[in-house]
Amino acid sequence: MNCNDVDKGLDIGAIAGSPDPEVREHLNHCARCRKLVAALSQPAYEASASPVALLEQIESGLLSDLRPVRRTRKAYLLAALAAIFLVGVTFGVSRIGAFALAVMTPVQAGVMLGAVATGAVLTAYSLVHLILPGSLHRIPPAVLPFAIALAFATATVVLFEFQPELHFWAAAWWCIRTGTVFGALAAVPLWLVLRRGAVLSLVMTCLASGVFAGLVGMMVLEIHCPILDVWHILFAHLGVLLILATAGLATGLAVEKFQPQMRARP
Amino acid sequence: MPAALRANAVSCQAATKTGVSRKYFGFRNFPSAGREMHFQMESGLLKCPDVDRSFTDLDTWMQRYQDGDPEAPGVLIAAISPALLRFFRSQVASCHQADDLLQDTWLRIHRVRHTYRLGEPVLPWIYAIARRVRVDGYRRISRIMMHETTMDVLPEPPAQAEPRDTLPAFETLVAGLPEAQREVITMLKVGGLSLEEVARATSSTVGAVKQRAHRAYERMRKLLQPDGPDDAPGGV
Repeated sequence: MNCNDVDKGLDIGAIAGSPDPEVREHLNHCARCRKLVAALSQPAYEASASPVALLEQIESGLLSDLRPVRRTRKAYLLAALAAIFLVGVTFGVSRIGAFALAVMTPVQAGVMLGAVATGAVLTAYSLVHLILPGSLHRIPPAVLPFAIALAFATATVVLFEFQPELHFWAAAWWCIRTGTVFGALAAVPLWLVLRRGAVLSLVMTCLASGVFAGLVGMMVLEIHCPILDVWHILFAHLGVLLILATAGLATGLAVEKFQPQMRARP
Repeated sequence: MPAALRANAVSCQAATKTGVSRKYFGFRNFPSAGREMHFQMESGLLKCPDVDRSFTDLDTWMQRYQDGDPEAPGVLIAAISPALLRFFRSQVASCHQADDLLQDTWLRIHRVRHTYRLGEPVLPWIYAIARRVRVDGYRRISRIMMHETTMDVLPEPPAQAEPRDTLPAFETLVAGLPEAQREVITMLKVGGLSLEEVARATSSTVGAVKQRAHRAYERMRKLLQPDGPDDAPGGV
């Protein structure tokens, strides 16, 4: 046994008072671990009097506004986010057409649309976990946007070719503008759904909302845009995701600065 | 608040569903159907004969709280507040601020009580809210202090001021840790949460929590024995 094993034991509270001879032997020899274990094994609460008046005041405050509430269901939230994504993409494609599907190979279409859809599913899960306190995140919410962008960029570089384009900036500007508008439209119902939960980390929730809205815009562009140049896809399509994610992050930071406490609607 | 809840908070041990012994902060008397049920001291553990004192019991009270049972808030406040107070006291400087944060936490819990899901562990849900309240409170206090006072001399870290031959109190020990590590250690050691529950409460992953905890242990070893030799042959 070494100090790392002691750390692992401390994580699960299995060190202090352990009858394991290996543990006792290590603690006998290692003064640093012995002191650490002793310090962390001190009584956790010194039986100091609870502020009874304070607790009474809190309780009376809660009782004055006590009524049954309808529980938020994770499945409903996920279904609402899926509906927003599908409706947003369908609306966008119905307005500007689906020309990309005709020019992409089945592999290109499958991988690109699959990547965006997978990103949307993961972001939806992350969003729901962010607004339901105490949820376990498999992927850190701060890492997810970068992972999605990286996966999309990699798929683009692998599947498409660098093609010279005459009107690069004009075409890119059109895609960025269109994708951002459709993404921003999806952000409105998205925020209404998110208010059903508890927005604890406003910055992370706004960032994830921006990413989700960006993925709606990206999906519309992936189905619509017939330009298969790598630079165009990276700059104009992925740009929509980056713009809306940045906008979400900036909104979160601004609101958190000027309005410290967001209200959630039961 | 019922008279039964006026008793001081005491710490007791309760077995979790997984059988792992952990700290739990209960109360001496328990109100239910107009009678008081008293804890009994048995083999160093505080046990209540009529009530299952495991954490699954909190699930039931949370459910009743969501259903509008007027008895539930008092029970939950008395059961959870001592641990929350200690959590806040190990994170902020004054007891007064900790009391304010406790009040804010319960108001926030009340407002978002519909987001608790049945079957999920209660403590990570509570601590996730408490953690957010602490962050907001810290920002608010920082803004106020920035406008009201000027700090000429930063306070010395108390952990380093302790005599080497005495063990510092938990609060003193964790005061020398960075905020993220202090939070994890406090939840693990004071709240009695598991690694997964801390990950849930901090919107993090289990791996990240484990890493923070291990860095904290290493730092605390240095704080406890800044220049002492490591006399463990196999020590890392």
